[in-house]
Amino acid sequence: MRLEVKKLLKSYGSVNVLKGVDLQVEAGKVLAFLGANGAGKSTLLNCISGAQDADAGDVLVDGHSLRGASPRQVQDFGVAIIYQHFQVFEGLSVAENIFLGHEIKRGARLDRLAQNTEALIMLKRLGVENIDPNADLKTLGVGARKVVEIARALRLRPKFLILDEPTASLSDKEAKALHDVIRQAVKKDGIGVIYVTHFLDEIHKIADDITILRDGRILWTRSADTVTIANMTAAISPDALMNQVRHSCVAADSPQVLGLKQLTTGFVGPINVALKAGEVLGIYGLMGAGRTELLECLAGAVDQDAGEMLLHGEICNFHSPRDALAKGVAFVASDRKEQSLFSSLSAVDNLMIPHLGCTPMPSWYRSFSREKAGFERAARKLNIQPPNPSLHGQRFSGGNAQKIMVSRWLIEGANIKLLLLDEPTQGVDIGARHELYEALATVKNEGAALIVASSDATEICLLADKVMVLGRGQQVALIDNPQNAELLIELAHKAEHGTQPAGSDELQTNQMVQSL
Amino acid sequence: MTENNLETPAENIVNQENSTAQQRDWFELIVAATLPVSIGALALFFYLNVPVFMTLNNWISISVQVSTVMTIAIPFALLLMAGKIDLSVGSTLALCGVVAGMSFEPLGITGAIILTLVVGTSVGLINGVLVSAVGMSPIIVTLGALTLIRGIAQWLAPNPVFGFPEEFLVIGYERILGLPMLTWIMLIVISIGIIAMVLLPIGPQIIALGVNKRAAFLVGLRVKAIGISLYAVTGFFVAVAALMSISRINSAPSGTLGIGVELSVLTAVLLAGVPFAGGKGSIVRVVLGVWLLGMLSNGLILMNVPTELSLMITGLVLIVAAGLDVLRNKRS
Repeated sequence: MRLEVKKLLKSYGSVNVLKGVDLQVEAGKVLAFLGANGAGKSTLLNCISGAQDADAGDVLVDGHSLRGASPRQVQDFGVAIIYQHFQVFEGLSVAENIFLGHEIKRGARLDRLAQNTEALIMLKRLGVENIDPNADLKTLGVGARKVVEIARALRLRPKFLILDEPTASLSDKEAKALHDVIRQAVKKDGIGVIYVTHFLDEIHKIADDITILRDGRILWTRSADTVTIANMTAAISPDALMNQVRHSCVAADSPQVLGLKQLTTGFVGPINVALKAGEVLGIYGLMGAGRTELLECLAGAVDQDAGEMLLHGEICNFHSPRDALAKGVAFVASDRKEQSLFSSLSAVDNLMIPHLGCTPMPSWYRSFSREKAGFERAARKLNIQPPNPSLHGQRFSGGNAQKIMVSRWLIEGANIKLLLLDEPTQGVDIGARHELYEALATVKNEGAALIVASSDATEICLLADKVMVLGRGQQVALIDNPQNAELLIELAHKAEHGTQPAGSDELQTNQMVQSL
Repeated sequence: MTENNLETPAENIVNQENSTAQQRDWFELIVAATLPVSIGALALFFYLNVPVFMTLNNWISISVQVSTVMTIAIPFALLLMAGKIDLSVGSTLALCGVVAGMSFEPLGITGAIILTLVVGTSVGLINGVLVSAVGMSPIIVTLGALTLIRGIAQWLAPNPVFGFPEEFLVIGYERILGLPMLTWIMLIVISIGIIAMVLLPIGPQIIALGVNKRAAFLVGLRVKAIGISLYAVTGFFVAVAALMSISRINSAPSGTLGIGVELSVLTAVLLAGVPFAGGKGSIVRVVLGVWLLGMLSNGLILMNVPTELSLMITGLVLIVAAGLDVLRNKRS
C-alpha cells in the first residue's frame, strides 16, 4: 500500500509553484517532508487533500487516482490531513470533537456514553491516559488538542495521515508526547505518515525517510539515518537567496531609531532592545510565543501595559495604527486574507488605501494620475505581476499580493521610519520572496529600521542583524548577527519548556558558524 | 540557475492569465448589463401594453414617486457597503416628518427645516455611536430604534399633523427647468453619492471597511469615525426625505408615514448587487435598482394589475436578482 504523487504541476496565475513533484509514502512509514516558506509545501498538501486541483500529474492511493476528488472523497480513499491551525471546537467535549460528523447513534439519538467509552479506548490505544473524553475541549492544552485532532483523523481508519507542522505551537514535552502518539498509530494501524515540519531537531525522533522540497521540485529523498541536520539545513535553504542578501554593516554611529525599555503588553514582556537606522531585528519564537502580540503593540493595534517605547528619542504610546503611522511606524500583518488585503478593491486602491486623504496624497480629493504613477513605480520596483492597477486584490497570487502589501509603505513620501513585518513570506513563492527581500534591503539602506517576525528560523538568520528569541512572551535571548538557525530553534523550545538559557553574551561566543 | 527555470514557463502563464482575465471581464460586462437591460426590457413590455407608460410625463412622475426612496437608498447603500445597516430609516422618516410638521408654526419654515435635519442627523449619530463606538450589532440596534422611534413619533403626534405653510408645500409641486423640485433634490443626492464613491478618498475606505474591518483598522483607517459619520449622514438624508415626503402629501401621519421604507430601500439596494455583508457595490447600480422597482410599481398600476400580484412580482424580482448574483460569484 502506498501513496504516490506523480509529476504534479500546479501554478497560480503567473507563478509555477509545483514543477513536477514525485513522492512516495509507504504504509507503516513516517516521511518527513521539509521545505522553506514558498517551496510549495502547502500547495502540495492541498493538491493531495482535494482542497485544490493540480494542473497536471496524478495522486494515487493504491493505484486509484485522487485527481479531481473532493476533500470528502479523498477522506473516503483513506487519506486524512491535519492542518497546522487547530480545527477543534471549544464548548464541545473531547469525545464530541473526536466523533464530530460521524457520531455514534442509537436510533436517532446521540449515544454520548458509547462515544465516551469509544473515545477512551481510542486514546488508550494511542498511549494517552490523561485526557478525559468528557472534558470540555477548552480545558485542554495545545498538545492535548493536537492529540484530539489525531484521534479524530484516525477514527475514519485512514491508510495515510498528513500532519502539517503539528508541533508548531507545542512545547518540547508536548511534542515528545505527540511523537509517541504518532508512532503508536503507525505501529498499531500500519498507516503511512507525511510529517511536515520546520523543526529539524525532531526529525530523527520521528521520521524513517526525509524528503526535501525546494522551489517546487523534490531535491532528494533519503533514509533518515544517513542524513545530518546540517545536510538538511543546506538542502532546504535556497542558496541562491543566501548569496543575494548580504548583511550590510550598520555603521556604529548611525542614529538609534527604536528603543524599548521594559515594554510589556498582555502576556508579552518585559522587552528591552535598541535598534539603529538600517538595522533589522528578527523576532523568533514558536507559535504563541508572543511575536504577533509584540508587533501589534508596536504598531498601535494593542495598547502598551507598562514600560517605554522610544522612537527617535521621543516617548511613544500609540492607541491605534493610525497614531503609529503618523509617527512613521507601519505594520504588515500576517495572514493577508484576514488582516491586510482588501479582496474587492483594485490593486491601486489596495496600495494607496492608507494614504488616501493623508500626506503624500491630496487631503480631500483623489489624484488618480498620482495614484497610478505610484502603482506603476511599485510594480516596477517589486515586479508585481500582472502590473495591472485595476485588477482586484483577490486575483493576485499570494506573492504578488504580499508585494502590494509591502509596497504600501514604500511609496514615495510615505516616510516610514520603522517597518514591522509579521511572517512576510508566508504563502509567498520563492521568486516573489526574492523580490521582497530585495525591497526590504532598499528600505534599510534608506535608513529605516525593520522588525521581522517569522516562524522560519533560517529566514530570520538570512534577514536579521540581530535576533530576539521569545518564549511564552518572555525575551529569552538577544543575539547579534545570527547565523545558526538550529540555535534559535533550540532556544525557543527551551523557553517554551520553561528553562532559562544562559546569558546572551555566552550564547554569542558559543555560536557555531555554519558554512552554507 | 533557478532564475532561468522560472522565466520561460512564467511568461506563457502570464499570457494564459490575460486571456482568462479577458473572459472574466466579458462575463462581468454581461452581469453589469443585466440591470440596464432588464430596465429596458421592462420599459418596452409596459410600453407595448400601456403606451401611456412611455411618455415624458409618466417618467417624471416615476421620478417623483421614487425620490424619497432614492434619497434614503444612496446613503443606505454606503452603509451597507461598509458592512453596516440601518433598519430604523422608516421610523426616523416619520419622526422627522412629525417634528417638521409641528415646528412650522413656532419656528418658521427655515427653523423647522433646520430642526428636522438636526433631529435626523442626531438619530443617525446615536445609532452610529452604539454600533461603531460601543460595538453593538447594527441589526439589533437599528431594529430596536425602528420600534422605539416609531413610538416617539406617535407619542409626539398621536394624530396626523397637517396644514403646512404654502411656501413649504412649494417643494412638493414646483418645477424648475421643467423638472419637479423633488426630482432635482434626488439628482443632487445621487451626484453626492457618486462623487463620494468615485472621486473622494472615502470611497475605497468604505469598501475597505466592508471587506475587512480588522484590516482597515490595521492599515490606519479611522474605522469608528467612518462608521459613525455614515450613520449620521444616513440620518441627515432621511430627514431630507421626510421633508420631501410631507411636502408632497401635505400631512405627517405619525402612524403610517415611512412604514416599510426600510424594506423598499433594502430591496432596491440588494437588487443593485450590494452584498448584505458589504464590501462592494456601485452607486449607479443602486440608482438603477431603485428605478427598476419604481418603474415596476408604476407600470403594474398602469396595467391595473391587482396589488397582491404586484407584491408577488416585486418579491420575485429580488429573489431572481439575488440568484443571478450567486451564479456570478460561483463563476468567479
